[in-house]
Amino acid sequence: MVLGIKDIWKQQGIIIISFCAVFVCTLFLNYNIDVASIENNITSTQVRVLYEAQLMSGKVVCSLCGGSLLATSVIMLFFYIKQYIDSHKKQIGILKAIGYSGFKIAKGFSAFGLCILFGAGGGMLAAYGIMPYFYEVQNEDNILPEYSAHFHPILLICLVIVPALFFAVVSVLYGCRKLNVPVLELLREKIGKGFKAGKKQPEKELAFLVQLRKNTVWQRKSLVFFIAFAAFCYSSMMQMSFSMEELASIVFSIMIIVIGVILSCTTLFIAVTSVANANAKSVAMMRVLGYTIKECTGAVLGGYRWIAYVGFAIGTIYQYALLKFVTTVVFRDVDDVPDITFDFQAFWIALISFLAFFEILLWWKSIQLGKRSAKEIMGE
Amino acid sequence: MIQVKEVVKSFGNKENLNKVLKGISLTIKDGEFVVILGASGSGKSTLLNVISGLERPDSGRVSYDSKDISRLSDKALTEFRKDKVGFIFQQYYLLPNLNVDKNVRMGADLAGNGEYRQIIEAVGLGGKLDKYPSELSGGEQQRVSVARALAKKPEVLFLDEPTGALDEQTGRLVLDYISKLHGKYHFTIVMVTHNLNIAEMADTVIRMNSGKIVEIYENQMTKTAYEIGW
Repeated sequence: MVLGIKDIWKQQGIIIISFCAVFVCTLFLNYNIDVASIENNITSTQVRVLYEAQLMSGKVVCSLCGGSLLATSVIMLFFYIKQYIDSHKKQIGILKAIGYSGFKIAKGFSAFGLCILFGAGGGMLAAYGIMPYFYEVQNEDNILPEYSAHFHPILLICLVIVPALFFAVVSVLYGCRKLNVPVLELLREKIGKGFKAGKKQPEKELAFLVQLRKNTVWQRKSLVFFIAFAAFCYSSMMQMSFSMEELASIVFSIMIIVIGVILSCTTLFIAVTSVANANAKSVAMMRVLGYTIKECTGAVLGGYRWIAYVGFAIGTIYQYALLKFVTTVVFRDVDDVPDITFDFQAFWIALISFLAFFEILLWWKSIQLGKRSAKEIMGE
Repeated sequence: MIQVKEVVKSFGNKENLNKVLKGISLTIKDGEFVVILGASGSGKSTLLNVISGLERPDSGRVSYDSKDISRLSDKALTEFRKDKVGFIFQQYYLLPNLNVDKNVRMGADLAGNGEYRQIIEAVGLGGKLDKYPSELSGGEQQRVSVARALAKKPEVLFLDEPTGALDEQTGRLVLDYISKLHGKYHFTIVMVTHNLNIAEMADTVIRMNSGKIVEIYENQMTKTAYEIGW
């Protein structure tokens, strides 16, 4: 199975997330390596405390950002591969029928590693572009001895080349696992295929629309994760950025808000688009029977609303708890650390902007679904 | 009564216009079983879509008891389909993430029909309420779609090649269920098929070719699903 550049480009979600992850990690790891070189020049205890606090904050940011973004990229990659296999079942079935092995077909999925190469490579380039300014801001009070930015090839290997190879291997292995199905199952595109009852639990006497909303949400758990995660990121990173200006610097603040907004909006967009596309046929049939577009989209998209709001609430609590922890535990020996209180202004700004973006996205997808004729969707 | 007058429908753009319906006129009486017969490309499915309100004609009228539906807004057309018609398609179009009970309830809720399980029983699927479409055979899936269509108590039932994806035995079974339910509930049936034998079950047969009606005739003796050839 040969994946074209177009297929790779469709994975903007992974490209953007890996860009953000590597951008942040490159900035802080490069900074930590460069700052480590001046350790012997530090004589004062107060300067050493600041030096160690900076190293620690770099490690915390890298592990938090890098770790969570890496996990998201892997989950998103699995989601994409599954979706790709589902939408190309017939072609894959034909290839298997004429003698291609699952592994031979799955080898083509290694091209997904290119997404990481593009994203991570771009993130590293951008980080080195902003590096001099970042260093200047980090040491604007000239407390630490003089140091300058250097390029460290180890970061290129660890943050770009190894992840790209890792993702390529993971893609092939996951592809192999997903392709391990009988040929006929791939060739027969029966309506309703892929949904199995699983554990039989008696369904309550719910109205059709309520039941549809419930089933749509819980039978695609990866999308539940993406939507909750996106809302979590938006909430935590936007609110955190307001405190960061006071705690660290304006660069931190801007960086966090930009990464948060790009990451969460991209994830939300991809997840909601996937829900809308996956349910286009169901919506078409409901419209044929006489359900209004409002009822249809309310049932297939509306169920994700409360998940997004729960994600937002957890993000709010998380960022407050994290900042409280950092200021009271991590920086307990550092003087002049501002006391953190709950920032209601930041909360309202984050909540209103999130509500506006999410509701506009749902509304736009509803309009798109409504515009497509039932005949067009059912003919696909 | 459904009246179709001088209906014209085309697809494509100015340079590549494909006139699919070329001035169709016909009348369908209440409770009648009508089959629209024709080869592939004759325009029979387009005619069904236009009569059922799924598509608007370019010109002409489609009236239900003198109410013209061809110029209704999208909202009014949705309301019309909700109140008046049921559909059965060749490809079933069941919702894959809902079980049999809920797929049928999809139609029942529109009509406030709390007794929809009787119809599931009537199509012989009473024991499979909890099954999902992927766990059913083609014939069973089509029977779910029959139950779904009838659970909304339609005045007119539209069927587009309902046995097209089924083998002979299952096809006969599905047609038999439809025929029995027609006898019980007295709705109007408009069925599109290319199978000449199925036309023998209908009261009236409309034969189409190249977007025109070439013949309309009434069967003096209608046959059951098990009497017709295949």
